[in-house]
Amino acid sequence: MSEILNANPTIRSAADLPSRRREPTKKTKTQRPFGLLSSTIPDSAYTPDPFNPSSSPESEGSDNDEEVEPIDEQEIYDLIAPIQDPEHPLTLGSLSVVNLPDITLSSTLPPTSLSNPSRPAITTVTVLVTPTITHCSLATVIGLGVRVRLEQALPPRFRVDVRIKEGTHSTAEQVNRQLGDKERVAAALENGTLMGVLRKMLEGC
Amino acid sequence: MSDVQRYLLRVDEDKDSAQRIAEETAQSLVSKTKSLIDVVQSLGEYINDEDASIRSKAVNYLSQVISALPNTTLSRQQVQVLCQFLCDRIEDGGAIGGLRKLQSLGRFNMEMAIMTFRALIEHFQDLMIRPHAQRLQILELLNDLMLNHRGSLKSLGDGAIVGITDLVSGEKDPRSLMIIFSILQVIMVEWDIAAKAETLFDSAFCYFPITFRPPPDDPYRITAQDLKARLRSCISASSHFAPFAFPQLLEKLDSTSPNVKKDVLQTLTACTTSYNAAAVSNWSITLWDSLKYEILNVQEEDLAEDSLVTLQAIAITLGRDLTSTNQTTHLARFLKPITNECKEELQAPQHKKAKPAGQILSSLASSSSVALLLVVKAIVPPLLTIYQDVDNIASQKALLEVLVQIFNAAVLRDEAPGMVRSSAEAEHPLAPFKDRLFEVFSQALMSSPHEEVTFRVMALKGLLRLCQVRNYLQNSEIGMVVQYLDEIVLTEDPSGREDVKDEAIQALVEISKSKHQVIMDITFPAFMANLPDPPTKDQTDYVVTLEGLARLSVEKSISDTLIRRLLSKLETVLQDDGQASYTQALLSTIDYVLSRRDLPSDTNLSSYHEKIVVTYVCKAALASVGSGPQALVEAATLEILGRLIARIVCALDEHKRRSVAIETFTLFTQEGSPFIPVLYRQDIPEKQRRTMILSMWILASVGQAADALYTVADDIDFDSLLNELTRLALVETAPTIRHYILEQIALLVNRSSTSKGLSDALRAMYNPFEAAQIDATPSIDATPIVFWIAKALLLRLSHTQEVLDHVLGRLSDNSCGPTSARGFGLLLATDEIISKQYGAKLRLLTKQKVFSICAPRIAADFRAAEASVKPNYLIALSGILKDVPTEVTMTEIATLLPLLLQSLDLPDQEVKAATIESLTVISQESPGAVEGHMSSLVNRLLQAASKPRENIARVRFNALRCLQIFPGRVKGSVLLPYGAGVIKGILPVLDDAKRHVRRMAVECRATWTNMDEPDQDA
Repeated sequence: MSEILNANPTIRSAADLPSRRREPTKKTKTQRPFGLLSSTIPDSAYTPDPFNPSSSPESEGSDNDEEVEPIDEQEIYDLIAPIQDPEHPLTLGSLSVVNLPDITLSSTLPPTSLSNPSRPAITTVTVLVTPTITHCSLATVIGLGVRVRLEQALPPRFRVDVRIKEGTHSTAEQVNRQLGDKERVAAALENGTLMGVLRKMLEGC
Repeated sequence: MSDVQRYLLRVDEDKDSAQRIAEETAQSLVSKTKSLIDVVQSLGEYINDEDASIRSKAVNYLSQVISALPNTTLSRQQVQVLCQFLCDRIEDGGAIGGLRKLQSLGRFNMEMAIMTFRALIEHFQDLMIRPHAQRLQILELLNDLMLNHRGSLKSLGDGAIVGITDLVSGEKDPRSLMIIFSILQVIMVEWDIAAKAETLFDSAFCYFPITFRPPPDDPYRITAQDLKARLRSCISASSHFAPFAFPQLLEKLDSTSPNVKKDVLQTLTACTTSYNAAAVSNWSITLWDSLKYEILNVQEEDLAEDSLVTLQAIAITLGRDLTSTNQTTHLARFLKPITNECKEELQAPQHKKAKPAGQILSSLASSSSVALLLVVKAIVPPLLTIYQDVDNIASQKALLEVLVQIFNAAVLRDEAPGMVRSSAEAEHPLAPFKDRLFEVFSQALMSSPHEEVTFRVMALKGLLRLCQVRNYLQNSEIGMVVQYLDEIVLTEDPSGREDVKDEAIQALVEISKSKHQVIMDITFPAFMANLPDPPTKDQTDYVVTLEGLARLSVEKSISDTLIRRLLSKLETVLQDDGQASYTQALLSTIDYVLSRRDLPSDTNLSSYHEKIVVTYVCKAALASVGSGPQALVEAATLEILGRLIARIVCALDEHKRRSVAIETFTLFTQEGSPFIPVLYRQDIPEKQRRTMILSMWILASVGQAADALYTVADDIDFDSLLNELTRLALVETAPTIRHYILEQIALLVNRSSTSKGLSDALRAMYNPFEAAQIDATPSIDATPIVFWIAKALLLRLSHTQEVLDHVLGRLSDNSCGPTSARGFGLLLATDEIISKQYGAKLRLLTKQKVFSICAPRIAADFRAAEASVKPNYLIALSGILKDVPTEVTMTEIATLLPLLLQSLDLPDQEVKAATIESLTVISQESPGAVEGHMSSLVNRLLQAASKPRENIARVRFNALRCLQIFPGRVKGSVLLPYGAGVIKGILPVLDDAKRHVRRMAVECRATWTNMDEPDQDA
């Protein structure tokens, strides 16, 4: 790689990145009521009794199974935060290039309309990217990486909109135009070298 | 024909017989039927032949004759003559072998050694162009000379060095190189090389870096690592090499290959460690300038680590035997620019380079006490200033982290072996900053917002380290830290992230290792006082307190006290007829504490037997008939109490265990007490039946001593007990109690020591109702008893065939088939009770045997079965498969795969999920086996993943995971036709209702997408 543009960026440690609070799973709660104190009980004690179906963990989890977990900002963040920066062995999350407050979901069309009641809600996800320095020439590549990742990972009812955060880049307007232009994005993805860089960025996801 | 003629005729076709001819000649020399002169003369015409190959063979003949002679045959004179002769002929080849033999003889003296050596040196140009095998022989000769006649060669001085370096240049063969490096190393270490250092260095360094890669089935077993290590010890052999080694190594550090860089760094470490301080000092700053790039701009994690090690090695060498903290020492002059630069980087503590700067400081500080002092002096005051000036917590955290790393270094210095703090009375390097550091860290821990978890954890680590630095904090200050930690554990809101609490308890445990009195005096009373008495309705925070106490009681004295206090607490709680869950928590704590002690050798064992086993079992029995605290008769309490008493009883001696065994059903109650054993009685209330849980634990824990039970009364023998337990199990309605009765039956059967017992068991399995002497009714299902007895017999491989015939036969039955199918999941499952710990008889080959009988039978019966019972076979198969190791199942894959695929069409979700898991393992272990079924497999998995209405989340998740493992394992050409279908098929799953399913779908889709885009590096 050529000259490194920003050799000493600010980084956040992985433990401080926003994450979904780990909820203690129901199963461990009911099976080991006293946490550590129950650790003396071997796992085999929890083997479900085949003759007593109500004791198996499945039935317990079945009402849980109904619960819907919608796609939210945190989930979008989890999809794009582990993307590698093209010039550092660090993730976009730890470099604060992508930030949780800069991700917004807005539903463009309500889930049902009169003509087609089963049509799903169209949702637009907007991600604002903050380059580490204002003249970063890799901003386009990073934006493209985020875009590709989301297009691969989100269901088709999502519209992806990736832009540079206002006031964080000297040529933000140009970059935004590039990222918003479907033709140009498609053309960029035909480029072998660029795809190589992108694949490397997305490797760790 | 003379021997030599015969030899020359044979040698080209048959080496062995030629060798034998030489040996014969040697024999006749020993037996004096021939003289040495005869032999040499017989060579006459051949050694002067014009053809070089004939000359060479003739000399070779002589060498072989010499080699075959016993060590003492040749006189000193003869050795001398032969040596002279062979040296003259050295360019003819063949002479080397003879010389090697000669030099090993006692009569080979210094002059001859020198003569041989000279001959080698003079002809080095001829010798170097020889093929591998001969060169190797020459090097071995040289190596032998070095071994046996080192003094003679050394006396030749620089001439010898030059000669040897000439001889060893331009080598490629790994075997030869191994010898060369060891010869060179001897010279480098032992000889005076000052004048020829560069020549010698170059002769070794020209092989750096080693890029050798051994051929696949290397007969010599020399690895690149072996070569690297030997070369490294040459390069680092002498301080004279410093002026050549450092610049050339640093030049190679610019290489783009990570392997070469790694080799360079490790070689640098070896050099800086072995060279003397003066030699290293000249280059220390130059080295720092190169290494800092690797560390501060981390590109490869492990190269940065190696660079840190090198840097530390420099500091260790420079600080060796150093006590002066003067600014003019080598060490101080080395550290100064480094600390300055790190200070610069730390001005922006949140930036990328700040963290490596901290690592540099810490690894330098841990190199020696003087280094620690110098680093602390240079860095702690500015760090504290920066800390005051920064305005955000993330920066403060980064700064605390650097300080913690320096504390780590200080603790490491204390622990270093043989470490006596230089000038013992001198104050600790950190002493001047004690109050300030203590204040900063205490405030960070106790006065920052609770959400700042990582910041507080860092502060906590810092305080812990400060407590661990030897002779640093006063006991009162450590007490303060302990109070902070207590406060965090006991009073902070446990909701949200519990990292701080966890760390706090961990820290208390650490402190208790060195300062256990402080924990005894402060933490222990505080925690005990925090235990509620009794707890309010839904108070559960006592669990955290109990956990803390349990973890703290590593020290025996603490844990003794704890058990005493917990028992008296339990007493009070039960007197007030307190909450069952609190009772359970207290019992669990006692169990946990005892689990960490070596009970069989514990002096308190008999008091535990009295105070816990006898007392509480009896209490529970009485409570079951209404005269005692009802908390004890809850099924959950009895299970915990059961485990606790089992732990104690297992540790008792045989005699005591027999005395416990006879109380299995009477439960230590006195005659005439209101409690009457459950056996042989009808219509007993459930509370009393629950005592069977305790009976089970007693029966399990007494092991073979259980036989004592049959001596109590005439009417109890194995057969009657088995029949009675069978009856109880049949009529039992509460699942938990039934489970424990079934466990008792299985224990009895499995541990039975007579063959009559086994056949009784078999009979009970065939007809449980008859054994129980009750009438069979459709409302009672005997399947559980059948399978528990079957399990008990199978685990010891008794009556295996009959048992399996019977249980397999049940599958075709319309009424008991479905339950029986599920029962197969029980047969091989690991059981807590039927285990070695409780004296069960387990055979190693059970799983293989059962599987090898069941798998083909199930497959055959399945084909023959009626449609209505077909699912039973699939469910049974899945039950067996889950416990059989993959290596075993692989043998029957071909038979089973069609069945497994059909299982995917069953509505039963448990079976479906388990089957997909089996298929995943199979595809992982032997992808070839599934190749033929790809089409139906992929389609079914996609169906399973994408139909959320029909499949539970676990099935959907498993299906995706199974799909995901195909690419890369199964041949690309097989998968290719399905690629587009899978990528499209998963699309709707990206919108699944469950987050973890979506996540897996994303990963699965990515793997399939990347499959048809070949890796560009490959």
